[in-house]
Amino acid sequence: MTTETALSSALEESVVIELGDERGEFAGMLLAMLGAEVIKLEGRHGSKSRAMGPFVKSEHDADQSLYFSRYNLGKKSISLEFEHPAAAAVRTRLADRADIIIDSGEASDVAQRLKLYRDRQNSNPRLIICTITPFGLDGPYRDLKMTDLTQLAMGGVMASCGYDPRPDGTYDTPPIAPAMWQAYHIACAHAVLAIFAALHFRELAGIGDFIDVSIHEAVSNCTEVAIPSYIYNQAIVQRQTGRHAAEHPTRPWLRRTNDGRYVKAFMFWSRHEARVIGEMLNEAGIEHDLDSDTYRELCERSPSAGHSHLNGLVDRLAASMTADELFHRAQAKGLLWASVRAPEENIVDPHFRARGTFQPIDDPVMGRRLLYPVSLATDGNKPLTSFERGAPCLGEHTREVLSLLGISEAESDLLASQGAI
Amino acid sequence: MEPGKRRPLEGIRVIDLTKIVAGPNATRMLATMGAEVIRVEWHDQRALDMLRMIRPGVPGGDPNSLNRSGLFNNLNAGKYGITLNMSLPQGRELFKRLIAKASVLCENYSPEQMESWELGYPVLSKINPQLIYLQITGMGKSGAYKAYRSVGPTAQALSGLTHMSGLPEPMPPAGWGYSYLDHSTGYYGAIFVLAAMMKRRRTGRGCYIDLSQTETGLMLSGTAVLEAQITGKTTARYGNRMPFVQWAPHGAFRCRGSDEWIAIAIQNDEQWTQLVEEMGSPQWARASRFAHASGRKTHEDELERFLAEFIKDYDRYELMERLQRRRIPAGPVQNAADRCERDPQLKQRGYFVPLPQSEIGTWPIEDFPAKFQNTPISVGGPPGRAAPLIGEDNDYVYREVLGLTLEEIAALKEDWII
Repeated sequence: MTTETALSSALEESVVIELGDERGEFAGMLLAMLGAEVIKLEGRHGSKSRAMGPFVKSEHDADQSLYFSRYNLGKKSISLEFEHPAAAAVRTRLADRADIIIDSGEASDVAQRLKLYRDRQNSNPRLIICTITPFGLDGPYRDLKMTDLTQLAMGGVMASCGYDPRPDGTYDTPPIAPAMWQAYHIACAHAVLAIFAALHFRELAGIGDFIDVSIHEAVSNCTEVAIPSYIYNQAIVQRQTGRHAAEHPTRPWLRRTNDGRYVKAFMFWSRHEARVIGEMLNEAGIEHDLDSDTYRELCERSPSAGHSHLNGLVDRLAASMTADELFHRAQAKGLLWASVRAPEENIVDPHFRARGTFQPIDDPVMGRRLLYPVSLATDGNKPLTSFERGAPCLGEHTREVLSLLGISEAESDLLASQGAI
Repeated sequence: MEPGKRRPLEGIRVIDLTKIVAGPNATRMLATMGAEVIRVEWHDQRALDMLRMIRPGVPGGDPNSLNRSGLFNNLNAGKYGITLNMSLPQGRELFKRLIAKASVLCENYSPEQMESWELGYPVLSKINPQLIYLQITGMGKSGAYKAYRSVGPTAQALSGLTHMSGLPEPMPPAGWGYSYLDHSTGYYGAIFVLAAMMKRRRTGRGCYIDLSQTETGLMLSGTAVLEAQITGKTTARYGNRMPFVQWAPHGAFRCRGSDEWIAIAIQNDEQWTQLVEEMGSPQWARASRFAHASGRKTHEDELERFLAEFIKDYDRYELMERLQRRRIPAGPVQNAADRCERDPQLKQRGYFVPLPQSEIGTWPIEDFPAKFQNTPISVGGPPGRAAPLIGEDNDYVYREVLGLTLEEIAALKEDWII
């Protein structure tokens, strides 16, 4: 990695304290990716997310959760019981040393914890506190009990995702939450954006901030055309299989290929595309009439009928080859198509190998090295970010962090005997 | 926003060569934080944002107007707008003068477009060594697919996000019903720019950021890649169920009304007990096989059938209230009308901000989803309005930013350069 442009050191002098549950873990991980020292406070029994699968072998081992490994890369772990009376001095020193505190969970729990450290902004005015809660810290829905699924429902994502209606326009399939944890991904991205805004403001004004992130608002903010369609046209977009929800039905994008897989054939239904598809049909040895006067006249008479005809030929083209074959052939001709892959299929793809998309990270507990998809940008040659370490074992850094806070071994032993660490 | 308070990105000028959603969403974040974002557009297919021409549009007015798109208005709030014909050498020279006066360039044209204009990072960084250049492409600017073209759905397909979403085989993937990766790549683009600014403060140097939408999708694929390496099995779809923890029932259930649903997620036995009581303790729900999480997970098909029968006649909001009183995670599947009209939370938190636009008047714009105690941010950005009309700020930018005279500006217009 070239040190000149690498962003793994962008936050190299920032200390982040991470409190709370799985709702905020991705935010802490992103800050660690950008160079912050992220200290995760877990309590003696470990974060709830250590009990979340999938697991390497056994769900009874707190260090075997792949969920925890994924969302806690690059962090340090201390097994501090944050609300324990004996932990007061440690809380104070942590908050006074921190640049940023991320606190996530149900609003009532977060509010309770805030009573223990919010006043540290008096002694550490540069401190930035960022809470991540289902609906924010006020409002009539503040205390509703939520999960990732219910947030995706109320925030509007599910209303846009799913399958085509029946011919009569009614649905026999439910709205779909498009894989889990996306509500938290969305909220954490916004939390990190907010933290950066506060960091830049701190450079100007010399003071930190208190930020209240609402998962509900973040998810609502991530539904593209749904809100404008209603605001401007009082229209509700209808969910459709494998393509954008829309006010009116649109033609399919997913095509079945001869290896039983799918290609997403995104199309504008232009003349140029019809010509290119005609070339591809020729190359595949499939008879067609896309260059005939009959087809041209059909398109002129009824564009919709022309598109239907083209649609059928695209299906035949797809059925004549494998998904990856069609992907590469289409892209070679400038079409915006791709094979529908499972994420892990990209591990062996030379493109992603060349870009360093998957970072190998050793995990001493698992006793093996896994590839993590954690690079999303390069400086033109090499990844802009990387992780120095994997996820921590429970309490792996307790003594180290306490020592940095000026707490002696004897004092640490006392905290342990009191059940605070 | 408190008058006179300095915005976090005060003094940061962003040249915005972005289109559709991914790039504009990145620059929208920067505008919200106070950057002076200048959208550069032109009246040709290459440089005109197609969002200006698609639904939803504001009813009435000139049907050929480029300034009536609701989605464009939402995504480009807080920015300035100029016209500049980059396909002419004179246009590109003017662009270089803008770069010399800028802090950041954000761009998401086709992968080879900037090089074809001889405006790649090596050229621009010589003009302005402090420049941070964010380039968003579908696959990234290096590697075998560097010239491949993409939109959000393309990247979603390749990254695995489409495959992972939906009911199990033999159903096809449901995928995402919108360009999730356009939104998300916008977030990460802005995050990288903000991080690069932090670094530039120390080093004095800018940088190039080659951000890939597909890689962003992989970042958001959860634990799938890890699990596949452990088990050797291909990632499967699981509908709305929770495969990683023994949470059941966990899904969307049809309620009274047309296409009205409620999502319910039972995380533990206590919540299940509460749900059983709320249902009036029917015999089926008292069956021992449903008493504990592992049993409910094992018999999830049967469990869902029973529960669906109970739920089908309820109003989804009424049922949410009843279940929430018992601390059961439940919420209606809300569409846009629900969020705009029936969601008291969004209303009380001021989620929709009325902002003026010069042709269509004042409309609600979606706000940034966080409240700050000190940091002054505003979705209306420095101009305090929604999206710019095409070329609306030519006079401001060409006169005040570049220092051109009125005569020079008139000549550029005459020559079809601005």
